[in-house]
Amino acid sequence: MPTLMDRILGLDRRWIFLLVLIAVVLPTLFPIGLPTTTTDSTRRAFDYIESLKPGDVVWLSFDYGPSSAPENDPMAEGLMRQCFVKHVRVIVSALYPLGGLALANNSLARVVAEFPNLKYGEDYVNLGYKDGAAAVMRQLGESIGGAFPTDVNGKPIAEIPMMQGVHDLHQVKLVFTAATGIIGEWWITQVHAQIGTPVIIGPTAVSAPKYFAYLNAGQLVGMLGGMKGAAEYEKLLQVSHPELATLYRSTPHFTGAKGMDAQAVAHALIILFIVVGNFAYIQHRAAARRRS
Amino acid sequence: MNLEFGRVTLFVLFMLIPIVGIALGVRAPALRSRLPLLVAFFAGTIPILAMYIPKNFLSGPQGMSSRLDQWLIIVAGFALLLGIVNVIQNGMRKVSRRESGWPFSVVLLTGLFVTGALGIYGAVSHQGIGFLPDGRSTPFKWIQDSMFLPLQATIFSLLAFFMASAAFRAFRARNLEATILLIAGGLVMAGRVPLLDLLAAPFPALHASAAAGTQTLGKLTEWIMDTPNGAAQSGIIIGAALGAASMAIRVILGIERGYLGLGGGE
Amino acid sequence: MRNGVLSRASARLPRFAAPLLASLLFLHPQTAVAIAPEVAPPPSPQIPAATLFTAKDRPGDSGGAVLLTWKDPPGLGPDARLEIRRAEPPSFEWTPLQLVKPGEERYVDESAKDGSVYRYEIRVVPQGATAQPDSLAAAPATGPPLVTEPVTSHDDWFRVDRTNSLIASILFLIILLASISVAKSGKHIFIRRIAGLNAVDEAIGRATEIGKKVMYIPGIQSMDEIQTIASIAILGHVARSTARYGTDLDVPNKDPLTFVSAREAVRGAYLAEGRPDLYREEMVNYVTYDQFAYTAAVSARMVRERPAAIFLIGYFFAESLILAEMGQSTGAIQIAGQADPTQLPFFIATCDYTLIGEELYAASAYLSREPVLLGSTRAQDIAKGILIVLGLLGIVVTSLGLSWFPDLFKTK
Repeated sequence: MPTLMDRILGLDRRWIFLLVLIAVVLPTLFPIGLPTTTTDSTRRAFDYIESLKPGDVVWLSFDYGPSSAPENDPMAEGLMRQCFVKHVRVIVSALYPLGGLALANNSLARVVAEFPNLKYGEDYVNLGYKDGAAAVMRQLGESIGGAFPTDVNGKPIAEIPMMQGVHDLHQVKLVFTAATGIIGEWWITQVHAQIGTPVIIGPTAVSAPKYFAYLNAGQLVGMLGGMKGAAEYEKLLQVSHPELATLYRSTPHFTGAKGMDAQAVAHALIILFIVVGNFAYIQHRAAARRRS
Repeated sequence: MNLEFGRVTLFVLFMLIPIVGIALGVRAPALRSRLPLLVAFFAGTIPILAMYIPKNFLSGPQGMSSRLDQWLIIVAGFALLLGIVNVIQNGMRKVSRRESGWPFSVVLLTGLFVTGALGIYGAVSHQGIGFLPDGRSTPFKWIQDSMFLPLQATIFSLLAFFMASAAFRAFRARNLEATILLIAGGLVMAGRVPLLDLLAAPFPALHASAAAGTQTLGKLTEWIMDTPNGAAQSGIIIGAALGAASMAIRVILGIERGYLGLGGGE
Repeated sequence: MRNGVLSRASARLPRFAAPLLASLLFLHPQTAVAIAPEVAPPPSPQIPAATLFTAKDRPGDSGGAVLLTWKDPPGLGPDARLEIRRAEPPSFEWTPLQLVKPGEERYVDESAKDGSVYRYEIRVVPQGATAQPDSLAAAPATGPPLVTEPVTSHDDWFRVDRTNSLIASILFLIILLASISVAKSGKHIFIRRIAGLNAVDEAIGRATEIGKKVMYIPGIQSMDEIQTIASIAILGHVARSTARYGTDLDVPNKDPLTFVSAREAVRGAYLAEGRPDLYREEMVNYVTYDQFAYTAAVSARMVRERPAAIFLIGYFFAESLILAEMGQSTGAIQIAGQADPTQLPFFIATCDYTLIGEELYAASAYLSREPVLLGSTRAQDIAKGILIVLGLLGIVVTSLGLSWFPDLFKTK
C-alpha cells in the first residue's frame, strides 16, 4: 500500500502543471503589486545610460524573437524611454531572423507615440533587419552604411540627418542589445573586444548567469537579467524621471513590473514543491532504512 | 571582369581545385576523400589570416574573409532547399503508405505549401509579406501573426511547467553536491523575487521585516551569481574555448574527420 | 609655421606660388611648415597654435584611414575647438573635416582613400564655429594653422595590436603538434573517466535489448558552430554502434547544413561497419528551421515513438529543457552534452549523464582512442595549465601593483 510520501514522490506531473498554471494566471488577473529591489548589474546599466549627454548616439539592437518578448520588450522600451527623455539619439536595428524586426517596429511605435516631439531621422532611426549577425557587427565597426545602406523604409542612410556624423560604431556611445541566444555574446566579442564600444546586454533570465563572467571582467558595462532586470530598470527609471512614473502607472501594455507578481508566486510554488519533495524523499529513505 | 586578387584566389581555391579534384577523384577515391579536407583547410585558414593581416584583399569589406561569410549564408540557403525536399519526401511517404500519424503529415504539407506559396506570391507580385497598400495584413502576415507567433509563444511557455516538474523531481538532497545545488537554487529563486514580501502581504506588521529580509536575500543572491557562479562560468567558458580552439585546429588540419563521415582522426 | 609677412599676403597669389611654396615643405626640417594661400581672415596672434602636429597612415588597418596627432596649445579653454582641414596637393583647397574638443589630441580621418595624397591642417577656432566652408569664410580670426607633410593611407600587412594573440595562437599550435607527435610515437595518453561517454554503448545496448530506437539530436545550430561539428563527430560513433547492433536510429535536424552533414556521417558510419543494408535515408531527417516548431515536432515524436535512448549533444538554447524533460517522461536513458554553460543546469537536472564544457570536444578522442585525437586533447589540457599558472601569476603581480601585466594580455 503506497504511503503518502510514496504518493508525493510519484506525483503525476500534470498536477504540478495545473498548480503552476493557477500560480501564473491568478496574479496576472489580480495584481498584487509587490515591490522590486534593484541589483548592482542593473544599476550600473542605468547609471551609464544616465551619464550620456544630449545628442549622444546609442545603438539598440532587437536580438530576440516573440518567444522571449515578455522579458526583452520591457528592457528595450525602457531604454528607448530613458534615451528620449535625455534627448539621446537612438539607432534601432534587428539581427534576430525570426520576428526581431516585427518586435522592433512594434516597440518603437509604442514608445514613439509617448513622445510626440520626436522626429524620425533626427532623434531616432530604424535601420531594419540584416542577416548574418556576427558578420554585420564586424562590418559596423568599419562602416554602418556598408551593413545598412538604407533604413527600414528604403531611404539611403546618407540622407538621414542623424546619421551624418555617425559613420561607424566608433561614433556610437553605447550598444544595448536585448538578446536571446548567442547574438548578445557576439556584441561583446565582436564589437566591444574589437572596437571598444561599451555594451549593455539585456539577456533572458536563463542566459543571464553566463554574462556575470563578462560583467566581472569589465567587458560589459551593465546587464538587465531577465524580467526581473527589466522590472528593476523600470523602477530606477521611475525614480529618476517622474514623468515616466506616470506613464508606467497608466500604460495598458505589458511591463516588467507587471510580470513580477506572477513570477514571485511561481517561484514560491516551486520552492514549496522542492521542500515538500525533499521532505517526502527523506521520509521515504528513512522508512526504507527502517525496513532493511 | 573583376580580377581582384582576393576574388581570383577564392575562385581558384573553392571552385577550380574542387572541380579538378572531383574530376580526378572519379578514378581515385582516395583523392575524393581528401578534397573536402582541402576545402575545409582553406575555409578555416582564410578567416584566421584575416584576423592578423588587415590587407583589403583578405580582411576588407569585400575581402576573401567577408566573401566567405556571405558564401556561408548562400550555401545555407541552398541547403534549406535540400531540407524542404526531405520534409516533402518524408511527408508524402507517410501519407502514401498510411503510416501511423499520416493525417498530421497532410496538415504539415498543407501548411508548407500554402505558406510557401503565399510568400512567393508576395515576392512575385511585389506586395511583400507585410502589409498591403491599404494597411491590411497580407495573408502571409496573417498566418504569421495568428498561427506562428502564438504557437511559438505556447511552446516556449511550456518551459515554466517543465521547470517546475524538473525542480520537483531533480532537486533532492541525494548527496553533498545535490544538496549544495538544492540550497543554492532555492536561495537564488527566493532572492530573485520579493518572496518574503509576498508571504508577509496579509500581515502589515511584518512588512518592514519582510522588506529587510528581501534586501538581504537579494544581496545574497547577487553574491552567489557574482562570485561562485561567475567564477564557475568563467572556468567553463575558458575551458570550452580552449576545447573549441583545439577542435577547430583539428578540423582545419584535417585531423578530425568524423563530421565528414570519413571516420576518426589520422 | 606661418610667418607674419606671408600671413598678410594678398588672397590671390601667382599660379606658381603653390608649387614654389610647397617645395619649401621639403626643404624646411620642421614637421608642419607649408605656407598656403588662404581665403579666410588672417590668423590672430592672440590665439595659440597646436604643436607637434603629425599625420601618418593608421597602423595595422585595412587602409582608408589617416591618423592625426598633436599637442594642444597650453591654456586652451574647454569651449575652444580645434579645426582639422584636409587638402589634396598640389592644390590648397582646404576641406573642413572635423571640429575637435581640447584634450583629444587625436583624430582619425576615415574618409581618406588609399593611394590619394593628403595634407592636413589644424588650427584653433573660436567658440561657436562649425565645420562648414561658408561659416569659416565669414568667421572671426582663427589661430595660426599648422600643416603636415603629405601623407597617404594604405592597408598594412600586420595588425600590431594583435601580436600577443598571434604569439598565443602559435604557441598553442606548437603544443598541439608536439602532443600529437608524442601520441603518435606510441606513448600512452591518459584521459580521465567521463561517465557520460562510457554510458554511450550502455545506452545503445539498452535500446537494442528493448527493441526501440536511438534518437540523436545534434543541437539547433549550424555547422559553423564548433559544438555542432563535435556533435556530428560523436554521431558518427553512435551510428557505428547502432549499425553494429542493428538498432534503429533517428536523427531529427533543425538546421539544413547540419542535416546534410549528419546524413553523410551516418551513411559513412554504416558503410564503415559493413552494414549499408541497414541504412535508410529517413534515419536522418530535416524537421523545420524554427526553434520551437522543431521542439514541438521532436517532443511529439519522443512521446509517440518512445525511443529507449536519447542523445542531446550539441548547442541548445531554450528548447533544451522541453526536449530533456519530455525525454525523461518517456523513461528513456538520456545523455546530454554542451560546451556552452547556459543550458547545462537543465540537462543536469533532467538527464542521466551530461558532458560539461570541453568534455564534448574530448568525446571524439575518448570514444575512438585514436592517438592523434588523444594528443590534441592533451594539448588543450597543457594550454589550460599554462593559463592557470598565468592567472595565478597575474593575481600575485597585480596585487603587488604591477598593472602592466594584465595589459600584456589585452587584445583587440
